Amino acid sequence: MAYTELIKNFNRIRDYMREFYVYGFKSREEYTKKSARSYDDERRRLESWLGENMKFHQTPDGKNVFISIDSRKSQHNPLYQAWKAKSFTDGDITLHFILLDILQSAKGALTLHEITTEMDQYLSEFQNQRTFDDSTIRKKLNEYISEGIVIGQKQAKTMYYKKAELEHDLDEDMLNFFSEVAPCGVIGSFLLDRIEAKASHFVFKHHYITGAMDSEFLCIIFQALRQKRSVILKIIRQTNDSAKEIHVVPLRVMISVQNGRQYLMAYNMKYNRITSYRLDYISSVKIGEINLQFDEFREKLNKMLPHIWGVSTQGRSSSRMEHVEFLIRYKEWESYIPNRLEREKRCGTVTHFDNHTSKFEADVYDASELIPWIRTFLCRITEIHFSNEALEKQFRNDIKEMYRIYGMEGGETCDI
Amino acid sequence: MIFNEHYGIYYKTVAEILKAAIDHPLCSNEIYDIINKNAFKESILYIVPALQEERWQLLKMDGTTPLKNTPFMPFTALEKQWLMAISNDPRIRLFCEKPISFPDVEPLFLPEDILIFDRYGDGDCYEDPVYQRNFRQILDALRKKYPLSVSLKNRKGGLAHAKVMPKYLEYSEKDDKFRLLCSKDHFVQIINLGRIQTCKPCGPIDSVHGKNEAVRRHCQVVFELVDQRKALERVLLHFAHFEKQVEKIEKQRYRVTLLYDKGDEMEMVIRILSFGPMIRVTAPQYFVELMKERLRDQKSCEL
Repeated sequence: MAYTELIKNFNRIRDYMREFYVYGFKSREEYTKKSARSYDDERRRLESWLGENMKFHQTPDGKNVFISIDSRKSQHNPLYQAWKAKSFTDGDITLHFILLDILQSAKGALTLHEITTEMDQYLSEFQNQRTFDDSTIRKKLNEYISEGIVIGQKQAKTMYYKKAELEHDLDEDMLNFFSEVAPCGVIGSFLLDRIEAKASHFVFKHHYITGAMDSEFLCIIFQALRQKRSVILKIIRQTNDSAKEIHVVPLRVMISVQNGRQYLMAYNMKYNRITSYRLDYISSVKIGEINLQFDEFREKLNKMLPHIWGVSTQGRSSSRMEHVEFLIRYKEWESYIPNRLEREKRCGTVTHFDNHTSKFEADVYDASELIPWIRTFLCRITEIHFSNEALEKQFRNDIKEMYRIYGMEGGETCDI
Repeated sequence: MIFNEHYGIYYKTVAEILKAAIDHPLCSNEIYDIINKNAFKESILYIVPALQEERWQLLKMDGTTPLKNTPFMPFTALEKQWLMAISNDPRIRLFCEKPISFPDVEPLFLPEDILIFDRYGDGDCYEDPVYQRNFRQILDALRKKYPLSVSLKNRKGGLAHAKVMPKYLEYSEKDDKFRLLCSKDHFVQIINLGRIQTCKPCGPIDSVHGKNEAVRRHCQVVFELVDQRKALERVLLHFAHFEKQVEKIEKQRYRVTLLYDKGDEMEMVIRILSFGPMIRVTAPQYFVELMKERLRDQKSCEL
């Protein structure tokens, strides 16, 4: 098939975008999942959509393509562009503009026959006039009714159609902000496209943009959540790229603002437990039946939350709950350190013993999730204990390994 | 559904072309300009022939259109649902007293459907009327480009005053805080909105504040990464928001070059520390020393 700039299926481009944006070190030959032709086409599309955000780096193994974005400089998420590249037929776009123009010109609601007659008038102005039969126009109108663009009213046996009203003016600043920070923010970007947007007054720090690629799945999950329905997820196994289907009751979406990952917390009906599912590992979501136990499962999750540091509901040890505690020291003038414990802790308790010693402790399902955070206090950890002995051993070995890689094995110490 | 041609760049661009064609007959150059301004880099190759060959029967050979009205599309149901969802966000009050409401529409999501689980706990207080008033004043100054006189609480609890030329409002999702970025002597001055007590328009300020474009002081750090325990994915996702370059140097070893703001250096140090031995900073040397200093101090703790 000849190359086109627009696409029908989002999933394929989603994989390439993630590869180019998150990783960006692979050469053309290393993209083995699809053909070289497919790689060339997707790369060309992304270059066209993303412009200067696409970069190249020449290595001995070939040219590496990557997406490099300083999200602090970029006021609008460039990855949203991909959602604006859906392909359509010649008939779709012709019908779209003429139908809406006919309905906009009409003083009242119109019947299908009136619309079809008017449509022929519009098209008669073209040399190679095309025609649309009644069923095509009716199908398009029904599609627009379900999308909320057109209002259909049945009187007796006749359906009347009219265009929906534009009810509100939109605040551009509000859209500029929420299109970047709210879930499914791409919808705010669609709204921004409707107005003659000027430069945004907002910039964003610690801004993760990869979640944009999962917007469609997130949207379907929200619909299921609102209706208390189950969903059927197709999950990609990271080990061998195969897919498995699972039936779950969605309960809550957990979002990280420290790595941009989005998770669905859901009740797995096969294993009778609440588990997290990464949205970027999902390749399809289908809405299922209403689940009568939704409120019960959600309450169960709410009770578990004080013991979940990240999203894990099961540790590596056999214990249901793992205990972790550590002690830190600081100077009297370093009051920001105990403050850090207070503001950064997500669960657990902090005890301040005096002006230079504090302790954090928590009972969590998976203590390994705390390790990256605990390491941020390296230089002041005086005691640490994990009920999971293997985890404690690994933590201590990792510190020794850090001393080694920085050449500090030989007892290089500095008293403070 | 989100992936729908109605929201697409092509529909938007064609709407712009038709809007102009209703006003006057279009020549080719005008069409090219509209496409270049609104669409993707290569869109001109597809939109122009589709219109010229009358595959899209919207624009006639003479550059006019049979359409009678400027194209506009009402809000879709999905757009209304999203607007209803954000109207439940406390930050909406920063922008308006009364959020948009569609009485017959259910929100796409409710606050209880989402949990941001690693956001810091001392975020700004968006319900505070003083904060809301200051925010709106700053936004107005940004829109109309005028300077502000600001009084703010300093770290010791005292009151400080400053005249500033606002440039941007910066929001950190991790800190859940807004900061006002202002120009000051070629550099960026940052004021936490949470510290601002009062904020009002003022007369012109020293020209150096207003005329010079503020710049951030960019720095670079290079580290090697060992891909064990899924470190490659974890590290690259964590640092994804920086401008960066990644090279594979050997099996399971990668070199990552990151650009960061000098003002965030201590934050960078602890973020790198959080990955433990999976990351070894290799350049610049002073950054390596920052890492070693932390480890030396840790060693002295005799853990």
